[in-house]
Amino acid sequence: MVETSVEAMSNATLDGKSISSEDAYEQAAKILQAANFPLVAGLGADVAGAQAAILLAERLRGAFDHLASRDSLTDLEVVRSAGIFVTTPNEARVRADLALLVGSGLTGYWPAIFERLALDKETVHGGKTKRRVIWVGPKRGEAKIEGVEVETIPATEAELPGVLAALRARVGGRPTALSAAATKKLDAAAEALKSARFGVAVWAAAGLDSLMVEMLQGMITELNGTTRFTGVPIGGRSGATGVLQTSAWMTGFPPRTGFGRGYPEHDAWRFEARRLVESGEADAALWISAYDGEPPPWEDADIPVVTLGPPGAATKRGLFIAVGKPGENYDAVEFAQETSSMVLRRAKAPAELPTVAEAIAAISARFSEDLPC
Amino acid sequence: MLTRLYGGHIVDPVNGVDGVGDLYFEDGRIIAPPVGRTPDVEHDVFGHVVMAGAIDIHSHIAGGGVNTARLLLPEAHRAHRPRPANTPLSTAGWSTFETGRLYAQMGYTTVIEPAVSPHHALHAHLELADIPIIDKGLLTVLGNEDFLLSAFRDGESQDSVVDYIGATLEATRAIGVKCVNAGGVDAFKQNIRHFSLDDEAPGYGLTSRQIFQKLQQAVVATKIRHPLHLHMNNLGLPGNVETALATIDASQGLPLHLAHVQFYAYGTEGKNGFSSAAAQFAEKINANKNVTVDVGQVMFADIVTISSDVMKQFNSLPGGRPKKGVIFDGDSNGLGVVPYSYRVSDFFNAVQWAAGLELFLLVDDPMQVFFTTDHPNGAPFTTYPEVLALLMSADKRAQYCARLPDDVLELTNLPALKREYSFYEIATMTRAAPRKLYGFEDRGQLGAGAVADIAVYELQTDKAAMFRNAAYVFKDGNLVVRDGKVTHYTKGRTLRVRPEYDRAIDDRLDKYYDELYGLPRALFEVQDAALPATAVFAEVPCHS
Repeated sequence: MVETSVEAMSNATLDGKSISSEDAYEQAAKILQAANFPLVAGLGADVAGAQAAILLAERLRGAFDHLASRDSLTDLEVVRSAGIFVTTPNEARVRADLALLVGSGLTGYWPAIFERLALDKETVHGGKTKRRVIWVGPKRGEAKIEGVEVETIPATEAELPGVLAALRARVGGRPTALSAAATKKLDAAAEALKSARFGVAVWAAAGLDSLMVEMLQGMITELNGTTRFTGVPIGGRSGATGVLQTSAWMTGFPPRTGFGRGYPEHDAWRFEARRLVESGEADAALWISAYDGEPPPWEDADIPVVTLGPPGAATKRGLFIAVGKPGENYDAVEFAQETSSMVLRRAKAPAELPTVAEAIAAISARFSEDLPC
Repeated sequence: MLTRLYGGHIVDPVNGVDGVGDLYFEDGRIIAPPVGRTPDVEHDVFGHVVMAGAIDIHSHIAGGGVNTARLLLPEAHRAHRPRPANTPLSTAGWSTFETGRLYAQMGYTTVIEPAVSPHHALHAHLELADIPIIDKGLLTVLGNEDFLLSAFRDGESQDSVVDYIGATLEATRAIGVKCVNAGGVDAFKQNIRHFSLDDEAPGYGLTSRQIFQKLQQAVVATKIRHPLHLHMNNLGLPGNVETALATIDASQGLPLHLAHVQFYAYGTEGKNGFSSAAAQFAEKINANKNVTVDVGQVMFADIVTISSDVMKQFNSLPGGRPKKGVIFDGDSNGLGVVPYSYRVSDFFNAVQWAAGLELFLLVDDPMQVFFTTDHPNGAPFTTYPEVLALLMSADKRAQYCARLPDDVLELTNLPALKREYSFYEIATMTRAAPRKLYGFEDRGQLGAGAVADIAVYELQTDKAAMFRNAAYVFKDGNLVVRDGKVTHYTKGRTLRVRPEYDRAIDDRLDKYYDELYGLPRALFEVQDAALPATAVFAEVPCHS
């Protein structure tokens, strides 16, 4: 019984003090409806939650952004300026005879990466062979995969862009300014890439920038002149890829899109959540972070903020409404890294908490009727 | 509520109707004229043409491919329309919402998305569920996956293939089966860049011909009504009419639908080695009644090509306009998205435009040729009214031809073709024929018992204007469009087939997924809990 009441108490708070759900939704509706240019941000949500959030932003003529937009847009900038070669982790698992791992921290961005890619096993399709694994720029001691002999090309974070550029140059037979010894090592790697049957480069945009991804994809394009080579991107945290997809079919654009003029406009600088808050352009915010309660990126928000997050993530200031964790506390659709597709995650620990979509619906239901819809 | 449309010119080829008359509907269904009852609502549609809601049999409207195109081309869908009231997201260019709105305004009430990779079916259904007003369905893409190719190679019984197709249709909630460059998508992963009808898929010892024929037979054996929907080899290449003719010769007298055939109507004549072979192709289609085709008409516009024929898309990359694209080697499947711009001044594009119209005009039976632009590959679906006007007017075609490069006219028969489609033929091609192709019993006609999906167009000299803005559209009896504007938003259904199959295949497939991927197959299934409550499915019957 005690546990239940604690949970009930933590479901909604105002400046750290418990309030009823009814009052919380009422307050949230007031805050968002009173704003001239409200921001719907964080967007750490499942597909249904993202749909509700984007519709809310549209209805309020505000803007929306995802907390990991920086990472999604790093890859997307390359897609929309140059194009991209990609495959699924499962196609890499069954077919890739060479994996080029790029950058450090890959297992941090995707803990199950090596279990999924199964680089220790032989390929299944396109012929049975052992895999060759080359890791560019791992941290010291990081390049260890059980059952796999990993070749490394050392590069610090600062050196990585230059090393990638040099590798691309050597794949294309172009000169580099590197020492003979360094060039020799890169030449061996370039030769391996060119002789791969179906090679894959694996990277996490969170650890790179657009120019590095473009360099990598430029190299992949060149490799496809003679063999097959493609990429496995590791997506951003808190449902970033699923929200990106949802945003695309709803508005035509990725997050960092605003409805201020009455139609969607996308601008990666203008509609960045942090800038909108810190510049004072947004005068209220709904912060959604249902997966892990990650706090907002802005400092000194002088604007009213409504937060939707897991029960443990109650904020000291502002209005907080607890929601379930997607796929954990409620059935949710999200983009799965392991399949590179939308999947249904069945709730492992169902809880009496609203879904993100339900919480937004409860807020929207309390808007006064004079709000244009 | 009893509604009467009176005084309109009813064009309903399924029931042989082509004349002025009244139409009654109630509770979402068309009914026979009731005796002794006064309608609750009456619409005076004198001077209007009344047809069943149109059915688009092949238009890429949802799923990973379309969404990738949206993200690839932010410049292509900048929204600038003023915002109508009470219409969430109605201002977003090329969104799911816009798709339903724009189709409805043209009098379309059913649209089929023709290319969904089985592992991405949920994504496609999420988008379909978000499209308002129209009913929709999707084709699941088979013919390049190891499970099926291995079964063919190992000489497994047709029964097991039929079960596999049944299980896949069930898991993906599809309305039929599409096959794209049979074996060629897998071959591309093995670094093969050209793949024709008699080329062998490496590792499987099967030619593209053998794969599509076996799949075609198996689809017939499932008793689903839609025949195999085939995207042939060598799309877009000069001289590829030979592939198309050979494919028809290989069609075994069994039903077969050939997709966007304009892209296969090319000869090698002229100084550019590229000419229209539509006449030869149309003759072959006329002589083979087991085959149906949709055209995939090209119009002069900025477009984006979206195709599971990833080999073709890869080869198209250098010619992209603008030069960028996405090449996706999917699970047992593929996808390529490459933007393009068809220009009236471009010799090749002009030949493509003419070849499409020739096919429309030279295939005799409008039950055999379907109206498509392979949206968005040949042209956006918003160009349909213009294409319809071209079919209905030789003068309009002559005006277009006057703008084409001179050398193009020498390589096509178009200027000599004076045929003009009648409303009856248009209604056949866009209503009656799709009804038959997908085996619909409840739509594509205006007979008693049909769903009250009705499009009413005001007769005008400007046929494009007439078809662009339907005067009235009723969806399930609800008035949804008035004078070319959506007045009421409804949610349509998603149409699917559920053929009988031996569930023993499920265990085999579960084991296959477990061994290959170490993942449960259920992860890829479309389940009710994954879809919004508004996603409603309706079943299209199978042959008995």
